Amino acid sequence: MNLLITGVSHKTAPVEVREGMAFPEDDAPQALAELSAREGVQEALILSTCNRVEIAVATADGFDPRGIVDSFLARRNSLDAVERYLYRHEGRDAIHHLFRVASSLDSMVVGEPQILGQLKAAYAVAHERGALSGALDGIVTRAFGVAKRVRSETGIGQMAVSVSYAAVELARKIFGSLSHRVVMIAGAGKMSELAARHLRRSGATEVLVTNRTYERAVEMARLFDGTAVDYERFTATLPKADILIASSGAPHYILTRDDMTRVIAARRNKPMFLIDIAVPRNIEPAVNDLDNVFLYDIDDLQEVVNANLRERKKEAERAEALVEEEVDRALARLKAAEITPTIVGLQDQLEQIRCGEMDRVRRKYGPFTPREEEAFEALTRGIVNKIAHGPISELRHHAGHPDGAHVIAAFRKAFRVQD
Amino acid sequence: MSVIWLRVALALYSLGLLHAILTLVRRKEHLFRVALSAFSLGAVFHFVSIVEEGIVNHRCPITNFYETLSMCAFLIVIVYLFVHWRYQLASLSVFIFPLVFVMTLVAGLGNPVSAWSSPVVRNTWLTVHIVLVLLGYAALLFTAVGSVLYLFQERELKSKKPRGFYHRLPPLGTLDDLISKTMALGFVLITLAVIAGTTWAFIELKSAWIEQPKIVISFFTWGVYLALVCLRITAGWRGRKAAIMTVALVGFAALTWAAHARLGAILLKQ
Repeated sequence: MNLLITGVSHKTAPVEVREGMAFPEDDAPQALAELSAREGVQEALILSTCNRVEIAVATADGFDPRGIVDSFLARRNSLDAVERYLYRHEGRDAIHHLFRVASSLDSMVVGEPQILGQLKAAYAVAHERGALSGALDGIVTRAFGVAKRVRSETGIGQMAVSVSYAAVELARKIFGSLSHRVVMIAGAGKMSELAARHLRRSGATEVLVTNRTYERAVEMARLFDGTAVDYERFTATLPKADILIASSGAPHYILTRDDMTRVIAARRNKPMFLIDIAVPRNIEPAVNDLDNVFLYDIDDLQEVVNANLRERKKEAERAEALVEEEVDRALARLKAAEITPTIVGLQDQLEQIRCGEMDRVRRKYGPFTPREEEAFEALTRGIVNKIAHGPISELRHHAGHPDGAHVIAAFRKAFRVQD
Repeated sequence: MSVIWLRVALALYSLGLLHAILTLVRRKEHLFRVALSAFSLGAVFHFVSIVEEGIVNHRCPITNFYETLSMCAFLIVIVYLFVHWRYQLASLSVFIFPLVFVMTLVAGLGNPVSAWSSPVVRNTWLTVHIVLVLLGYAALLFTAVGSVLYLFQERELKSKKPRGFYHRLPPLGTLDDLISKTMALGFVLITLAVIAGTTWAFIELKSAWIEQPKIVISFFTWGVYLALVCLRITAGWRGRKAAIMTVALVGFAALTWAAHARLGAILLKQ
């Protein structure tokens, strides 16, 4: 069997090229059917997302998978135009690539889990069409397992990599659980709405909304099942809130250090998380010097996101080691699967010969006493095993190598092993 | 005779201590009305005890340590009752009730009593004291570790440049919870240990017990613990200030232990 993955990704090709090569969802089954109908193709899988197009094929021995895939691609695109963006991975490299893609190590944002879902969908399509039935099927299924292992054994997907999720993550770092927490929004805006929505989903029980125009506050409060607060009562209500999202269009600070000193005293030093996503800023930066007050502006949140990305990269290194280990295991399994029928065939063949010869001898010189039977049995078995040992270890040694298929074929011929 | 009235007052004050302990452990006010009534009634008996002491000795009863302490505790009670009546500062009770209880306890231990009824009682009493202290220290250690981790995590969050600690330490809220719980538990255990230790020392060491350095330092450490717990409950002290105070408390606790292990004597000899 020959395994080949041909593809383009956000790392190798600009979006125009990826667009041109992508298989729209409706066309994918048709394209897959066309590919698997080509001579020599045993199994095929097409993964097409906005960031990557991957075509995996397994061909029978003696067929060149590269030629098959190239001619398949040439039907839709000019091969010369896309050639320099393509990557091709064969054998071990192909498995390695597939495992990395599934584990989101090759993704634009390392650790984001969408790709696994997309791969699962592509697998479902291929499976439904009967395009997966053997080794490739096993490898793709194993890739799901590897992705799961990477997720649970490394911290690759744990850290927030968007600003609004970073805000939720910080809130969790400050308060632990977010249940029974009160969120207050001052001002309007998409970002504050998004952050409030995430916080609400993470357990925050109450949302207070204030705005210079009371009607807008009422309108927004309705979105979160919250309460509108008159803007005049903003600082007076603030001690009730654990988290404040400020995004008003005011040209000056709406919350000063002095205000906050009073608020935190009224809260008896219970911690407060202030998120200032307004530009110009709404909250005086010196507020962060107060004990038990944690003020983050939009740049600070971005910094957290960057730190999380760096942390993900570190985790990705651990994940790479894990993937390597899994590739070796998968290869070992494949190797075993490839030669097992030949070895079993050989053993059957030799056993038949041995039994046949024993019968002949029994007819001619028998019957033997049980003790003699035992001696003959041991003698013949010993000879057969000794003879088989050399060729079998040679076979194991060659399996998985590029010339492995020839060695196996020659071996079967030499020992007349039946299919 | 006056000491009997003082003990009656002490018994009534013990309800105040119970209120403080329950409030600390459950983190909700318990038994306050009962404790306050008992406290007021206790003050009456306390007053009777002081007056009788004065009549018997024909002088104002502030001439020795125990009398002064009794008077001081009584005055604290009066001031507290006045403040409560005037300002309704209920949360002060957590601080005042245990303080008055321990002061009154010590004040009543001025005249030596006859020795232990049996060595078994003596040893059990001492064992209970030591076990309570050790359990209290264990809780205190958790408070200290929690406080240090809190400081690290707080600094990470304040610096806005999350590094390894940010990702690996538990949230501030969780640490705060751990600190509150272990602190309350530790305080209760240490308070009981102080009561057990005081009575043991009183019976064992006769009249000179209160002059022992190890006893003095024990009371001092307990006082710091009381202040820490109250600042946390009433003023919401947490974070840096509370952590520094906790670390100081661990230092005093270590000193107290050293004093009991007679390390002080060894060091002083040099």
